[in-house]
Amino acid sequence: MRPSKSVSVSLITILILSLLTGCGGGDEGKNNSNANKEFVVGSANYTEQYIVGELLATLVEENMPDVKVMRKLGLNGTMVVHSAITNGDIDAAVEYTGSGLMQILHKDIIMDPNEAYKVVKDNYHDKWHIKWLQPLGFNNTYAMAVKRDYAEANGLENSSDLSKVASKATLGCSMEFSERPDGYPGWKQAYGMEFKEVIPMDPGLMYSSIKNDEVNVISAFSTDGRIPAFDLQILDDDKKFFPPYYAVPMVREDKLEEIPGLEELINKLGGKLNDKSMAGLNAKVDIDGMDAHEVAKEFLKEEKLIKN
Amino acid sequence: MAVINEYLRFMMDRSDQILALTGEHIYLTFIAVVIAIAIGVPLGILITRVKKLSGFVIGLANAVQAMPSLAMLGFLIPFLGIGSKPSIVMIFLYSLLPIIKNTYIGLTNVDKSMIESGKGMGMTDGQLMRMVQFPLALPVIMAGVRISAVTAVGLTTLAALIGAGGLGQMIYRGISMVNNKMIISGAIPAMILALLVDFILGITEKAVTPKGLKK
Repeated sequence: MRPSKSVSVSLITILILSLLTGCGGGDEGKNNSNANKEFVVGSANYTEQYIVGELLATLVEENMPDVKVMRKLGLNGTMVVHSAITNGDIDAAVEYTGSGLMQILHKDIIMDPNEAYKVVKDNYHDKWHIKWLQPLGFNNTYAMAVKRDYAEANGLENSSDLSKVASKATLGCSMEFSERPDGYPGWKQAYGMEFKEVIPMDPGLMYSSIKNDEVNVISAFSTDGRIPAFDLQILDDDKKFFPPYYAVPMVREDKLEEIPGLEELINKLGGKLNDKSMAGLNAKVDIDGMDAHEVAKEFLKEEKLIKN
Repeated sequence: MAVINEYLRFMMDRSDQILALTGEHIYLTFIAVVIAIAIGVPLGILITRVKKLSGFVIGLANAVQAMPSLAMLGFLIPFLGIGSKPSIVMIFLYSLLPIIKNTYIGLTNVDKSMIESGKGMGMTDGQLMRMVQFPLALPVIMAGVRISAVTAVGLTTLAALIGAGGLGQMIYRGISMVNNKMIISGAIPAMILALLVDFILGITEKAVTPKGLKK
């Protein structure tokens, strides 16, 4: 090998190595400012999750201008959000107590909301060093819903009444619901009935498909703004199959240490919402066509959690 | 080996579901491609006769092909609702281009001397098409059908997003549960299906090649 060639080869090698190890020397001189610190917010892929994701992201963005806030919203369901936060692709997301309890931790159902919260909080800390902060205040449970005229025509009041129509009815649900233990596989055992057909689809499509009579029953989210707007009736979960699903921000503990004041800031959202007000925010997106970011920003302003 | 066994066991446990989804997948693909052939081939023949139309028709089919399939699917929902109807229309629209194009190219590339000799024998235009041009172009047309069908098998996985079922459902469920076994259980049958379609249509392509053109 000619000398010039070997020199260039080694130069290239050094260049590649320095790129790989990232030896730019930028991390020196750490100070108290939050410059160069990143905060990545994730969410699942339906309206409420986009809104609560925006609530977290916008709150931090506006109150901690030094922190670089990034959004990875619209992940495909609870399990994807979970693997993203445990392996550090995202730092925070809003999760529901019932999902954490049953789908992630595979625990038995706990109907008491406070106890469920405590079990989930302790387990997430021990297993993954993820901290569950103050609950936002609303409970977004799964709820079997039908059109009001369908309920009246078939005399449906609670979920057990669905046995009257199950053999000829179709259920529209999310892909996730069709697989979760606290979804259809568990539900059909608890209620002892199966629908004629189950049609899994994108969660946002459930509501328009029941509106257009393409399915008869849907596994709605109880805080969805389209339930009143499309005149749907929620059938009471009389067998108490669905646990409470209180929405709670969860954040990686290493991130809470890295950014001082982050925990206190996010906890200001604690108890700021209830079932009705969350349904109102969801309706602003799904019915009025507003952007999730705008809805979140407007809410934070009203609550005086951000300035402008 | 243990891993492979685990995957196989999962597929065995779910075999009923996988079979049912494979059936839906074949149904959606088959209907869409058959309609695409029924419309694409006559359209291809038409534009060899009315040359003025050829630029427009092929251009339009090209534009449809260029549109992201996911957007097309969403776009069809307000008109056709959810389920198999919009899915079949979407797959059909994407299958159209290779069929129209190959029909057109196949027919226009038929050796001029063949047509001349046909005319010399006193054939009418219809006879010329039926007995000379079309048989000679058939291998090229079949190649187009083959491309369409194989692409359609892949495209059909999208149908699951709007409640039409098919193997995509297994894949999307697997993604939402972060379960690779489930993703593989949807992907492998879809791959086998695509390869099978390619194989069968490959044989057909050879079979329809006129004796004189075989090497």
